[in-house]
Parts: sequence; C-alpha cells; structure tokens
Amino acid sequence: MIELKNVTLTIDNREILKNVSLSINKGTSTVILGPSGAGKSTILKAILGLIEINSGEVLINGANIFSLKNDELLRIRRKIAMVFQANALFDSLNVEDNVAYFLAYNSKLTSKQIKDRVDEVLSFVNLEGTQDLFPDQLSGGMKKRLAIARALATDPEIILFDEPTTGLDPINSKAVLDLINRLKAAGTTSVIVTHILNDAISIGDVLTVINDGQIVASGSVKEMLQSKNKFVKDFFYEIFQDITLIQTT
Amino acid sequence: MKPQRFNSFKNFLLHVHDFSSLLVEIIKNLPTVRKNHKETLKEMYVIGTQALLLAMLGGLFSGVILAIESGHSVEQFGATMLISRTVSLGIIRELGPAVCGLLLASRTGAKNTSEIGAMQLSEQIDALKAYGINPVEKLVVPRVVAAVLMFMPLTLIADATGIIGGMFVTTSTFHVDLVYFWTTAIKVLKFKDLFVGTLKPIFFSFFIGALSCYFGLNTKGSTTNLGKNAISSVVISAVTVLILDFVFTKVIWEIM
Repeated sequence: MIELKNVTLTIDNREILKNVSLSINKGTSTVILGPSGAGKSTILKAILGLIEINSGEVLINGANIFSLKNDELLRIRRKIAMVFQANALFDSLNVEDNVAYFLAYNSKLTSKQIKDRVDEVLSFVNLEGTQDLFPDQLSGGMKKRLAIARALATDPEIILFDEPTTGLDPINSKAVLDLINRLKAAGTTSVIVTHILNDAISIGDVLTVINDGQIVASGSVKEMLQSKNKFVKDFFYEIFQDITLIQTT
Repeated sequence: MKPQRFNSFKNFLLHVHDFSSLLVEIIKNLPTVRKNHKETLKEMYVIGTQALLLAMLGGLFSGVILAIESGHSVEQFGATMLISRTVSLGIIRELGPAVCGLLLASRTGAKNTSEIGAMQLSEQIDALKAYGINPVEKLVVPRVVAAVLMFMPLTLIADATGIIGGMFVTTSTFHVDLVYFWTTAIKVLKFKDLFVGTLKPIFFSFFIGALSCYFGLNTKGSTTNLGKNAISSVVISAVTVLILDFVFTKVIWEIM
C-alpha cells in the first residue's frame, strides 16, 4: 500500500533521511520509533509529498507521488489523512466547521449529510456537544481528539499520526491510544510516529526503529524485544528493565 | 565575489524565481475564486471596508498638505487661482494612489503575512496540502482578488476626500472662490489623468496581495521569523508601490 524505496533527503547540507526503504501493508498499524531528530516526522511528510526528496521513490498504491501531476497528487492525498503533532486545527473555525472543512471541500455531500457525518465522528472520539466551541476553548486532549475526528471525517484509507500522545497526560494519552486501536480494529491502515515506547508497543503491529535518518530495524514487538542490534537494545532498555523487574518479582 | 555575497545574490534570485512561480499559479487559479467566494467576500470586508477610514484620512491629509504647500508657493506670485488645479491633478494622478497604496501596503501586507505565516508555523498550511487542498487556491487567490477589487474604490474615496480637504484650505486660507475651485478642479482633469489614477491601484493591489502572501507562505521555523517576514512584506510592498508608481508615471508621460 505504502512503499518507500531508497529515499534520501538532504536539507542545508544535512542528511535527514539516508536511503530509507520501508513497506507498509494495508490494514496494518506501523509505528515509526526513534529519538527526537531521527527523521520520523520527515518520513510522514515524504509519504504525503509535502517535502521534495532528493532521490528514491514513495509509492502509494503503486503510484510514485513525486512523478504525479498536481491534480493526481491531490487525488491521492484525499485518500490519506494526517493528525499533526500540533493538531493544525483552524483556530478561526469552531469544532463543527473544523471537522466539516475538508469534507465540504472534497465531497459532494449535502449540508445535512455533512452535519450527520460530523456528529458521527465527534461521537466516535467522545466530543459530542462541543460543536460550537472553538479550538482555544478545548483542552490538549480534546484538541487531539478533534484532530483525529477531522482526519476520520473524510473516511481515509490511510491515517498518519505524528506524535499523537506527546504533551498529553496519561488519561488523555490512553484515550487517544484507545482511539487508534479502535481504528486498527476497523481495518484502517495507520502509520504512527512516536518516541514513546509504551505507546508503540500498545498500538503497533510492526515497529520500525529509525536513528540518524536510517532504518535500524523493523519487525513485530516480539522481534524488536529479541533484537541483537545495539541501538535497538539501548532504545528498548527501559522496557527490558521493566520485563526483568516483572520476572524477578 | 565573496561567498557570503554570492549566497545573498543566489537567495535573491531564488526568491525572484519562487515569487514569479507564485504569480503564475495565482493567475492559473483565478477561476477558482467563484468556488471560494465566501473567503473572498470576507477578505474584501477586512481588506477594503475596514480600511475605509484609513484611506479617507490618508487622502484628506494629503489634500490639505498639498493645498497648504502649493498655496504658500504660488501666493507670492498672486497665483492662488492655480491651487485647485494643483490639488486636483496632484491628488488624482499621484498622491491619492501613492499614499493610499503605501497605507494599504502596510495594513494589508502585515495582515496577510502574519495570518498566513502563523498558519504555516502551526502546520495549518501543511494540513490543507495533506487533505488535497491547494493553499494558493484557498488562501492566496481570495486575498489577491479582494485587494484588487477593493483598492481602486478606496483610492477613489481617498482622492475625493483629498480634494475636499484641499478645498477647505484653498477657500478658507487662500480665499479662493468655492465655485471657481470646483470648476477648475474638475475641468483640469483629462481622461489620461483619470485613467492613470484608477489603473495604478489595480497594479499596486495585485503586487501587494501577492507579495504579502508570498512572505506568509515562506515563513519557516519560529515566531521571530514571522516578525521578520512581516517587516520584509511591508517594506518590499511599499518599495514596490513606489517603483510601480515611478514606472507608470514615466510610461504614461511618454505614451499619452
């Protein structure tokens, strides 16, 4: 469904992505994991074609997005939704209009159908009754759930999440992770970027570890925990400690 | 050539290239203004209607100052009858469009760059692209079209208040007859003067709108850069107004 082939990106003489190759299958939940500045969010932007890569290919359903014409690229992007790290909500619009924004623009639904869809997705993320509020009247967790509702509104085939729980308290983090798991159960393809190990383990079918612009390892949670790679072992050190602690008590 | 200077020159050329590409994209996307008519009307209100008082004040004081300065110059030759002619031609051809252009360059330039720049920093522009919406179509074209549609009527209003301001000074300070003032002020104006006076704001507004959006879209990194880009937007828009004004005046005097 999504395939990155030997993607390289250099900005201001700094290599951000070094020969990155990655394959994401339909219906899976892939977590891209790594320290800050490793190039995780850049991969999401490359998938959407928001940044120009220097070499390599990004294929969505077999089509290389960097060789598409503008109209074709926009058509592909409409099948993908992204939940941004800072949410990217339109602060001049209320909750209802934020969710309806892309729906109204990209579909031929009537006003009644759009309203019904908005109510449906707001209910899915437990934000019923907030339609008239503005983003600055919402808490951090509510903003994140609103961003997810906006992403869901267009019924995308793929959802990209950029650090979905960063800055949230444990209760709101859990609510967001539960939402991602519910989407996974519904068969949506998800790509999640995070540096939080526990989140990655609770939502990922496949974990891809990246460091300094290079993919270090990729596999299931079990495979990662059994990896002999030094960076992976160091990165998962916290989890190994927890496991050891559980085994000894 | 020193490397730093070469880099600055290279950056300047890159900006010229990117701005030219944006101009082409604006022109290509002009038909989408119908689809985004709500945004365009909203921008027309903010860029035009809300700037009405500023344009009137700019025009009024230009007319008053022009009448005082020209009045004192010609008074010593007993030629106060020429003030109305100077005020009328000066305002319609030059001061009205230029002062209005500079004031609106500051107001609209700062507004567009800070709005679009803040959207860029908070990833709202990326969100538009990510969901298949062209930001030029959704954000830039409505602002440029609104500016083009509103600057000309604002300039005409500024012209009118400028001539009225000049009239008060001419009749009260230099004791020129009111009827004579208006007769001369209207009679002296030719088609060429009205043509130049109404055409200038159309060009000014197109470039002010496009430049301010360009600087907004090119905001990267931090809020400090947003401040820098807002300053660049206002300064470059104002300089562009002055350069275009010069070019227009020169060309019109040559060909008409």
